[in-house]
This record gives sequence, C-alpha cells and structure tokens, in this order.
Amino acid sequence: MSRMPLPADRLVQPKLVGYDPTRPRPWLERLAYTLFFAALWAMVILAYGAVPALFRRFGWLSTTAGFLAYAVVEAVLAFLLAAVVALILIVVLRKYLGKVQERVGPMHYGPAGVFQTVFDALKLLGKEDFAPKRVDWLIFRIAPAIVFVSAFLLMVALPVAGGWVMADLNVGLLYIVAVSTLGAYGVVLGGLSQGNKWGLLGGFRAGAQLVSYEVPLALALLAVGVYAGSLRLSDIVEHQYGVWHVVPLFLSFVVYLVASIAELKATPFDLPEAESELVAGYNTEYSGMSFAFFFLAEFVELFLLPGFMVVLFFGGWHGPLFGLAPGSFAAGVLQSLYFLIKVAVWVWIFLWIRATLPRFRDDQLMDLAWKGLLPLALVGLLVAAFLRMFLEVL
Amino acid sequence: MSLFAEVWEAVKAVGAGLGAVNKRISEPAVTEFYPYKKPEIPPVSVQFLALIQNEDGTDRCVACLQCERVCPSQVITIERKRNPEGKGFVLERFDLDFANCMHCANCVEACPVSAIVTVGAFEHAVYDINLLKADKAMLDHIGHEARVWYSPKFGVELRTPEGKIQKAPPEMQPGGLAELLKAEGGEAS
Amino acid sequence: MRGPTTVEPVPGRTDELIINMGPQHPATHGVLKVVIGVEGERITRAVPHIGFLHRNHEKIEEARTYPQIITYTDRMDYVSGLQNELPFILAVEDLLGVEVPQRAKLIRTIFFELFRIASHLVWLGTGMLDLGAITPFLYTFRDREMILEITEKTAGARMLPNYFTFGGVRRDVHPDFFKDVAHFLDFFETRLPDYYALVLDSPVFQARAVGVGVLSRERAIARGASGPVLRASGVAYDVRKAEPYDAYPDLEFQVPTRTEGDVFARFWVRFKEMEESVKIIRQALEKVPKTGPYKGKVPPRVKPKPGARYRAVEISRGHLGTYVVSDGSERPLRVKHRSPSFANLQLIPDLFVGARFADAIAILSSLDPVFGEVDR
Ligand code: SF4
Ligand code: SF4
Repeated sequence: MSRMPLPADRLVQPKLVGYDPTRPRPWLERLAYTLFFAALWAMVILAYGAVPALFRRFGWLSTTAGFLAYAVVEAVLAFLLAAVVALILIVVLRKYLGKVQERVGPMHYGPAGVFQTVFDALKLLGKEDFAPKRVDWLIFRIAPAIVFVSAFLLMVALPVAGGWVMADLNVGLLYIVAVSTLGAYGVVLGGLSQGNKWGLLGGFRAGAQLVSYEVPLALALLAVGVYAGSLRLSDIVEHQYGVWHVVPLFLSFVVYLVASIAELKATPFDLPEAESELVAGYNTEYSGMSFAFFFLAEFVELFLLPGFMVVLFFGGWHGPLFGLAPGSFAAGVLQSLYFLIKVAVWVWIFLWIRATLPRFRDDQLMDLAWKGLLPLALVGLLVAAFLRMFLEVL
Repeated sequence: MSLFAEVWEAVKAVGAGLGAVNKRISEPAVTEFYPYKKPEIPPVSVQFLALIQNEDGTDRCVACLQCERVCPSQVITIERKRNPEGKGFVLERFDLDFANCMHCANCVEACPVSAIVTVGAFEHAVYDINLLKADKAMLDHIGHEARVWYSPKFGVELRTPEGKIQKAPPEMQPGGLAELLKAEGGEAS
Repeated sequence: MRGPTTVEPVPGRTDELIINMGPQHPATHGVLKVVIGVEGERITRAVPHIGFLHRNHEKIEEARTYPQIITYTDRMDYVSGLQNELPFILAVEDLLGVEVPQRAKLIRTIFFELFRIASHLVWLGTGMLDLGAITPFLYTFRDREMILEITEKTAGARMLPNYFTFGGVRRDVHPDFFKDVAHFLDFFETRLPDYYALVLDSPVFQARAVGVGVLSRERAIARGASGPVLRASGVAYDVRKAEPYDAYPDLEFQVPTRTEGDVFARFWVRFKEMEESVKIIRQALEKVPKTGPYKGKVPPRVKPKPGARYRAVEISRGHLGTYVVSDGSERPLRVKHRSPSFANLQLIPDLFVGARFADAIAILSSLDPVFGEVDR
C-alpha cells in the first residue's frame, strides 16, 4: 500500500504578490487606498478638465475632424473612468465589508489586496461566456449592453467642477431621468430572455421595482429643478452658493436617498437579485463578460447616484478656493477634489447601509414607493415651489 | 402624530443598527491565516490517529483487538499471530481506513496500552482517496513524526528532539489528569 | 390526513409557475426541496421533498454496540451535535440503572446549553442571510467559534465531539474550562445588544417578520411541532420543565413563550432562549464542584437488561426523543429517534400556501430545520 505523502510535502502555499497577510501593515493599506483615490482624481481631471481644455486651447473643436477626434477621445476616457471607478469601488466595498465584519477582506493580490479586482476582471475575461440553449439569444446578449450603456451615458452629464462637464445640457435633469430609466429595460430584458424561472422572477421584480422608484426619483429631481429655476445641472450647482439644497429641500433629499438605493439594487432593496431567494435573480444565467457588465454597471451607478446627489443637494463642487480665480484650471482641479470627497463620503454611507440592513419584501417595497415616497416627493415638490415663490417675491 | 413618532422610532432603530455595525470597524480581524500560520490544536483534539512505538522501536500495541471491536465505522482491520518468543500476540497487519473513520476516538479510549493515540496533524486532505487507507507502516510513521499526542491512559505525551518519550507537564494535561498529578506532587513532570 | 405528494401543472392554466426550490437552493439550509406553485409572487401550492441526506441511522444502529451508537447520534443534528447524544444515553442509563454523579450532570448541562447557544447563533446568522443581511452571519459565526474552541479543548472535536457517555462524560474537563466558559458568557453578553439592534429591533426585519407565517396554537399541536416553533405559538412546553433530566431540576430558568406564532415570535423566542441559556450556565458554573467524579460506575460491557425505554430532551430545535429496545445483548433490538425538525417541517404546506415567495424564505429560516436530523 502506498504511503501517504506527508503534509509538509504537499502543502501548497498560495503565491503572494508583494504582501504578507500575516503581518498587517495598516499604513500600507492607507497609502494604497489614498493612491487609489488620487488615481481616480487624476482620471477625473483628465477626462473632464485637461483634455477639453487642451482641445479648446488649440482651437481644434472648430473643425469637424477635430470635433470627431474630441468625441472619440472623450468616449474612451469616459469608458476608462467607468472601469477605474468600478475597479476601485468593488475592492473598496469588499474591504469595507471585511472591516465591519471583523475579517480582513481581500488581501492576497497587491498590498492589502488592492489589485484583487484587476485579477477578478481578468478571470471573468478568461471565462467562457456561456448562453444556455433556451435563451432568447439576441436579447440575452443585448441586455448587459443596455444596462452598462445607461450607466455610462450618465457620466456625460456629471458636472465635477466649474465648467468641467462633458455635455452641459440645458435639460440635464430630464436627461438623468431618461437615461437612468433605460437601465431598467436592460435588467428586465436580461431576466426575461434567459429561459430560467429564477431569472424570470428576478426580471419581474426588477421591472416593478425600478419603474416604481423612477417616479419618486423624478419628482425629487423636479423639486430641485423648480427650486433652482433651471434644469441645467451647472446652474443648479451655482444656485447653491450660500446654502446647499439639502437644507430647504430636505424632504426631496430623503426621497432621492431612498430611491437611489433602490435604483442601485443594493440592500435593503436588492430584490431583483436577492441571492437567498432567487438564486441570482436576473443575472442567474449570465457568465463571463456579460455578467461583468452587469456588475460594472452596478458599481458605476454606485459612483454616479451619490455623484448626482452631491450635485443636486450638497453644493456640487463648492468649497473654499483659497484665492484661485473661479473658472481657472487650478480652481477646477481643486473643485473636482471637493466634489470627489463629498461623493466618497456618500459612497461610504451607501456601503454602510448595505452592510447593515436586511432585505425588504417586494410588496413592502411597492408600498414604500407608492404610499410613502410618492406623497413625500409631492410634498417636497410643493415645498420647493413655495420656497421658490417666496424667493421670487423677496 | 403617531405616524411621525413611528417614523422617528424606525429611524432611531436603523441608526442603532448602523452604530452596531460601525462599532466593529476598529476591532481586530479574527481571520485565521491558515496556510501561513498553523492554528494551535489542543492535544486532545482528534485530528489524526497514529500507532506509537516504544523508544526501542518495538510496538506498544499488544494486538488485543479492543480498538477493532469498538470502532463504530469498522475501519480497523487487525491480523495477529501468536508471539513465537514469549506469550501474547504480535501484529501481522494493522489497517485503518481514514476515509471512513469518523474521528470519534473510541479506539483511543479503548486501547489498554495507549498504542493508538490522537495526534494534532490535521492536514490530511488528498486527491486520491486510496491514499487515506493507512497500513501499519504509515501509522507508525505518523507516530514517529508526532511531537505530542494524547491518550486517556497516559495523558499527553511528548517526543523530545532526541527521540525520547516523556509525559507532558501537568499544565499541558487536559482534564482531571492534571489535578491528579498536582495532588500527587507532580512527580511525573 | 395525507396531503398532495407532488405538484403537477394544471392543464390550461398559464398564470401558475411551478418552481423547484432546492435541493440546491441557497436558502434551503442543506438539502430540502420544495416544489412550489407561484402566481406572481404568491405561493399557491407547496410540497416538501425530503430524504436527500438519508443515511439510514436507525438501521445501522441496530447493528452497533451501545457505546458505538453514541457516535452515530452525534451526526443527526450536526449543528448542535453534542445535544443529540443525550436522549440515547439517558435511555440506556435508565436501562442499566447507572447512577450519574452530580458533577457529571452539571458538566453535561453546561455543554448542553453551550450548544444551544451555538446552534441558535448558526440559526440567527443563516436566517438573517436568508433575509438579506450578510453582516450578522459573520458576527454570529465568530461568537460560535469561541464555543467550538472551548468544546475542542475538552472534548476533542468541535462539532461532533462524542463526549457524553453512559454514566457521565468521557473525560474530565480541561483545567481552563470553567474559566473559558465564564469568559465566553461575559463576552457574549456584550454582543447580545448588537444582535438586538441588527435583528429584532431593526424596522426592516420587523416589517419582514411581524404577522408572517402565522401558526395557530391548535395547528402547532396538531402537527406535532416542538421547540421554539411551538413556544412561539403560545404553548409553554419544554422538555426541560416537563420531564427534567440531568441537572435541570436544580436550576432556575424561564420558558420564554409568545402567543403570536409568527416569524417574529419565533425569532424572539430563540433570542430569549439564548439569554436563558446564559443564566442556566451561570448557575451551573456556580454549583459545579471543580474536582470530583465525572463518570459513574458503568460495567465494562454495556449490556442493559431486556426492556424498552423512551427518553426525550429539549435540543435547540425541540423535542428529541429516543426509544431504545434492548433484548439483553450488546446491541439494541431497535432504536428510534423522534426528531423535532422532521415534525416541524410538516408545517411547510400549512405555512407556505398563501404566503409570498420572500415570506417562504423567512418562514423556512424561522423553522430552522437541520437536514441531518430530518432525514437521519
Ligand atoms: S476514531 Fe473512531 S471511527 Fe476512527 S478508527 Fe477510531 S474508533 Fe474507528
Ligand atoms: S486496542 Fe491498542 S493494543 Fe489493542 S489492538 Fe488496538 S492499538 Fe493494539
């Protein structure tokens, strides 16, 4: 009979990439995550400030070829930004959940596991993108794209600093509502097309949830528009000199907060993908990159929805400028930093809520939307209208 | 008014939950770094079984078949023959199928001479289940590798680096044995 | 009364969807399969299928000697492993006429209640995971780990220790045992308020649990429910009070009951039981002598006189009883286990039908079945 090989002979030690997990080094973690933040900041400056400024400086925008080149470069930059945001937020989420749950979270790849998502993304890229036999192939393939594109398009309208926005639409608020609703289609179609009962139920739930939460969300946005007297996002931010909108429009802010968590499909509103009820809900049958796109979109939205919250209620990029001329490039850099810090605080709060609460039931979710948030949003709209009227009179 | 009170209560309760979660952020992680740091296993813990040989290389086992008899999964197979010189029996074959062993330590408990013992080596996952069918040579080998082991008769025993077998000091002994040794003045240590 | 054994689609009916929930569903706690018909989110029919973990315990046990069977009883309800050994041991002790020293009784009681806390912690963590909260799961498992470590130090294994034996326990406790247990209790009491904040007091949880899966007192008795499920429906039946065993007659404790019979009541009862367990262990720690005999006199060959005996204990899930028939030989003629999860699982069709799909998950986790014990 063969002798069993001894433990020491067959012990496989996972390879370590530059970090020994048995020696916790908090300063290294902090440094790594600060660098992450700096990288995000640099990407934002590049995409929203530097490249447009460059094109404008040399007057390339006036020619057709120049404009097309600008559009292509911006699109690529926006995609890169989305990828960077998702990569960072995923690892931040896992690390944060690890911290509050008394474990360490990712730790093997890179210092304190900062490159974990990069490896995850590579893994997903390398996986077979499998489609079961009974799926509706075209819709099954298009759905992740719709979801991702709707999240990605929102990036265009995000004003990160004075004058720093890819497209300063005069109907910015409407654009937000329109484009973010588009994402719901992707989720519903993805759920319905996969010939799986769990996916079907997830798709139904997603449809019901996303559509009903669009209504209070839109009304909350409308209240902001009414109060600021403009649908243009940069005007709304300008309007908040003096006092942030969260003070007069507190009701609308609460509605926006709850509705945006529901939009994100995060706990306590993660019904469409409730993993303990519906296995994985609308993305049960997705694998490989199709799944990655759903995932990517979710985390881009986790950045964008707090981002719009900051724009609408927390004074956007406002902060002390230390004598820099507003509108200058240096001021823009500083303002984008303020903006990112505010967004980071809100992302943390979103993650915090996600770590704490259990899940609602589908009918309670509807109750909350239609019986709770909708009246609240209407009252908020009323308050906004009255306040606006008083402002006009004064 | 009661609606506002209710909402306020709910907000307060959610706040308490958020506080309970946030409180833990500064607490040290309890994660075990298993392949890098081996956990310390108490000697009584039934992780692996071994046959112990005396310092002079003879078997402790007297082939009494007690362990075979008590094993609930019936995974011990012993063949013995009469000892040609002197009385008693000697082992011809001692097989133990770890794949079906339930690590109940009934055999350790039953052994009258503490020949079969529990040792703390716990990493015995293998890809081929046949490797878990241990014969006497393997059980002896595990016993030789072991630095500390336990059996109810003799308590925790140690193997010194020179290969001597010693009884462990009373503070390492589990249970009443430690009390017993202390009462006797700790003469065994 | 036999219910339907399967769910067939009704010909021509298109609004009902038939779903196999399990045996590989994340919320079925192992290997339950429930075939359910749903109309939208509302459940119209539900039929549980069990037997995926059947290991033929009762038949195997007829071919094993008495000491060997203790090892098998451990494997029934593996979440509260040590508790399962007791009814069989009590029954055989009765047949043998063995005296158990008081110290051994107290040690057994301490372990019994420690495992109740451990089992309820597992239930709490996985139950909240089913309801969508991940964090309590990791907190409860971290606390349970301390109990398992205490057990390993004394009994030699973490979950299935095979530690109780006829006449007492197998070996004396580790010298640190009483200190460790007291330390754990102090620690656990600091953690309990967090569980209240995260679970019972959380408004989202209350919205999910209050008024869901209501089980009436009559229905609970008729279906033979026991344990927290029964007590949440207003029946103050607890084997520890009704037929006290081991050291329970000397210890003071309450039997928490609630009359609502909904998911919230079942959660509440288990929470209060954990608190009661802490109190029981505290009392037992005061009473237990530090040294002394841990095992009574038992003949080396366990051969009970012919006869039959039924003994029951209150394990974490309810009334676990074992019926032992002895013919005077080394092996029992018949061993029958009456397991609480199996009886509680009969409630599934009652409670599921009419509930929403998400409620079904909450109801299942509030019944807290363990399939090792359902299927045996
Ligand atoms: S530990 Fe138990 S199952 Fe394993 S060989 Fe010993 S008696 Fe048999
Ligand atoms: S009980 Fe001990 S001495 Fe007897 S056969 Fe087994 S190992 Fe050998």
